[in-house]
Amino acid sequence: MTDALEFSHIGKALPRREDFRFLTGQGRYLDDIKLPGALHVAFVRSPHAHARIKAIHAGEACALSGVVGVFTGRDLAQWTTPLRLAPPIEGLHPVEMTTLPVDKVRFHGDPVAVVVARDRYIAEDAAELVEVEWDALPCAIDAVDALAPDAPLVDETLPSNLVSHQSFSAGDVAGARSGAARVVESRFDLHRHTHVPMETRGCLADWDGGQSHLTMHIGTQVPHPMRGQLAARLGLSETQVTVISPDIGGGFGQKIALYREELTVAALARHLGRPVRWREDRMENLMAASHARETRCLTRAAVTADGRVLGLELELTEDFGAYCFYPANYMARVIAMILTGPYRISNYAFDVKVVLTNKCGNGPMRAPMAITSWVMEGTIDSIARELGLDPLEVRRVNAIRASDLPFTMPTGEILEDVTPLETLEAAAGAIDVPTFRTRQAEAKAEGRLLGLGLCTVVESTTYGSGFYKAAGIPGSGHEAAWVRIEPSGVVNASVGLMGSGQGYETPLAQAVAEGLGVSPDQVRVHMGNTDVAPYGMGSRGGRGATAGGGTLYLCAQKAQEKILTIAAHMLNLNDMQGLRLHEGEVERQLTGDWQSTGIGLADVARRAYLDPLSLPSGVKPGLDVSLTYDPPPMTYSNATHACEVEIDPETGMIRIQRYLVAEDCGTVLNPVVVRGQQQGAVAMGLSGALFEQVVYDENGQNQSATLADYMVATACELPNIEIIPMHTPNGRTPAGIKGMAEGGIMGAIGVIAGAVNDALAPLGISVEKMPLSPQSIRAHLRSAEKSGGPKF
Amino acid sequence: MSGTKQIFLTVNGETHEVSVPPRKLLVDVLRDDLHLTGTHTGCEHGVCGACTILVDGQPARACLSYAVQMEGHELRTIEAMAADGELKPLQRALHEEHGLQCGFCTAGIVMTFEAYLRDNPEPTEDEVRDVLSGNLCRCTGYQNIVSAVLKAASEMREEAQV
Repeated sequence: MTDALEFSHIGKALPRREDFRFLTGQGRYLDDIKLPGALHVAFVRSPHAHARIKAIHAGEACALSGVVGVFTGRDLAQWTTPLRLAPPIEGLHPVEMTTLPVDKVRFHGDPVAVVVARDRYIAEDAAELVEVEWDALPCAIDAVDALAPDAPLVDETLPSNLVSHQSFSAGDVAGARSGAARVVESRFDLHRHTHVPMETRGCLADWDGGQSHLTMHIGTQVPHPMRGQLAARLGLSETQVTVISPDIGGGFGQKIALYREELTVAALARHLGRPVRWREDRMENLMAASHARETRCLTRAAVTADGRVLGLELELTEDFGAYCFYPANYMARVIAMILTGPYRISNYAFDVKVVLTNKCGNGPMRAPMAITSWVMEGTIDSIARELGLDPLEVRRVNAIRASDLPFTMPTGEILEDVTPLETLEAAAGAIDVPTFRTRQAEAKAEGRLLGLGLCTVVESTTYGSGFYKAAGIPGSGHEAAWVRIEPSGVVNASVGLMGSGQGYETPLAQAVAEGLGVSPDQVRVHMGNTDVAPYGMGSRGGRGATAGGGTLYLCAQKAQEKILTIAAHMLNLNDMQGLRLHEGEVERQLTGDWQSTGIGLADVARRAYLDPLSLPSGVKPGLDVSLTYDPPPMTYSNATHACEVEIDPETGMIRIQRYLVAEDCGTVLNPVVVRGQQQGAVAMGLSGALFEQVVYDENGQNQSATLADYMVATACELPNIEIIPMHTPNGRTPAGIKGMAEGGIMGAIGVIAGAVNDALAPLGISVEKMPLSPQSIRAHLRSAEKSGGPKF
Repeated sequence: MSGTKQIFLTVNGETHEVSVPPRKLLVDVLRDDLHLTGTHTGCEHGVCGACTILVDGQPARACLSYAVQMEGHELRTIEAMAADGELKPLQRALHEEHGLQCGFCTAGIVMTFEAYLRDNPEPTEDEVRDVLSGNLCRCTGYQNIVSAVLKAASEMREEAQV
């Protein structure tokens, strides 16, 4: 690909602009915004996994001094409309939910009433005094049990708990199986996670009765879709709602949907004519915000004797919890769609089931397709193990090579400008596999367990409108931007994204600076206010750089054209040919060299705004340019993770000795920010694979609703991560950007499982279930001892 | 429950008279009554460390104490760091090393190491990781925070020698 892309500002390692305010305590998060007279709410939540609401008694709570009122699902049903999800997707049942439950609750933590009071302390006191008469129902907790014919129905409008079911087949899977030397079966069981942003959910709703206008302060990744949802559910128009997102203390996908609590707060502000605010506490966040990932997979790979995959079948079951804030096939679909990723596989079939259970509803969590790379690479490792082959060789035999590109995956997804074999070779080379194998053998002789994992990731990053249309999901993948050069020559710009901590302000300013021809210092990018930003699809997946940065870059280029048209006129030239804007100065190319014309951006801006009669004919006053851009249906980045572990057989503790990632994520806007995203994603993936787990008991009681129970990795458990940048541009996107930030999770889960299984292989152990906690490792070692293995 | 108590709180060298309910958490009084919103509430059960401040020079969780217990103590919060607009070495190093992303946990980390580096000017990486394990960060994976602390420690040692 083009190594010839040369940039002045894109790719520079500029430190972040956000830092100063965060380092000095001057960030403005939701709770830092004060509105006088704001009331606080607290939610009354279900102690049962599944129960009918017989009656709610709020008399005692209402009598408490400082309490304004207690409201229930019946009140909210008068003020808001239900959420109905019924996209025309085959095998997906339409579902509907009210703002607060009216008849029954579906999980431990389901909100059943809301208390409004003068402050949060009083609201919480009063919530304790609300008495609910329950009629407890049998519950469906495990996804397999929930599919039994006599299982309790989580959603009584559905025929069963199987809310979504899709099958697919391409090529000749049966033929591949019959022609195979072996069919290798592998299982993968990824447990339930939750996002744990350091700042929990919350909002502050301000109703202006005189203007009939709602201002919703809320940390949201998607300001405009949030505005649309609020308006629709409150029976308002989009002119009557402004969403303002302040600084966000982490989102990771948890801050996309309009949740029931947030809609309740907005409806209460309107009903009461007072500002109303909510701050979720950590227990609520762990129990009732949204969960993710709980998925079981089974693969069957038909292979030749040398490990070549002739055909692949996937059976996937996702436990979706009790409510659908997204179409239920939304996350699982992507896993099945991109599973074959780095490998040349053409015969492929999948069967994907999504099941409702009496647990907190699922949402996309950073890498909704997190399990994908574990499943594919785990399958490759199983093949190597069963056939006695070198896992690296099996990868090479199946890898997509540069000469295969563009490569159409069996699901129709097109891979172009990706380098999975190159990153594999780089990672394998850097970790030095042969030397490791020698060390591993020496360690084994001393009774020590060392393991090496390799995991190649093909990460779907930017979802264009073509993807949504093909998926049958309403929505768009486009993004919108404006760039405005003000009369003094400084640059304001805006885009529909909203960052939740990634550090958009600097890289996006670099994209504008590059497209326009100014210094990034001159540019300020405004995000998060729906009255300021253009309607965009917000931040999700890995779309920030390609969709957001790409749109700003193109918009800034368009602005530069107008500037140069005016400048040409000022220079008495026929057209802008041979002119450029560079560092805010108009330059002219003369005999190969760029020379100053003495005209600066401020001169052009002054003329555009304040002397419009001197503009060339046909050029309108002002320098205010907007643009929308729809990325390709999908862009892909790729990486290979390599990880060495040592397992302490006595404690089951896994120590990561070395961790590296060779990554190709296209043109990088700012390597500081990208490296931070790579490290952060790997950390989140490892933390989830090793420690985190949402636990429900058999009665559906959530057992992990504190941070002492839901264990997020600390600085003592996580390794330093080496990054090998191997970026090649995408030929179809602005500036060659590909996007990233989720692949690190996919790689971390896959590579740690591979390394652990490599370490335990001599004992005949193959771990199929996460988390890889010390307890689980010890249990495997104990059972190996019982069946005659070495004793630890 | 609704009664309030008149107390004097000394925060960042300034003494404030506030009237607070005895059960009101220190973190809420700092944020609501004194408008010092740089201290963040992350878990309200003492695990995450986002609300860490200094009480008589030692790190403490502002979500685990009541404001009324703090009379007679010297409190310091993030607002005292770089009050003159000039970042201190650790803040500067966090910026240079990209040791923060969403910034919600950052104040707690700055305060934790303000005390630690004062008492332990030459920490090893393992020691830094051990101390940092009291502060959760969901964004960074800690690697850059660790390198920032080590860098700040080295700069502070150099400054001390000059």
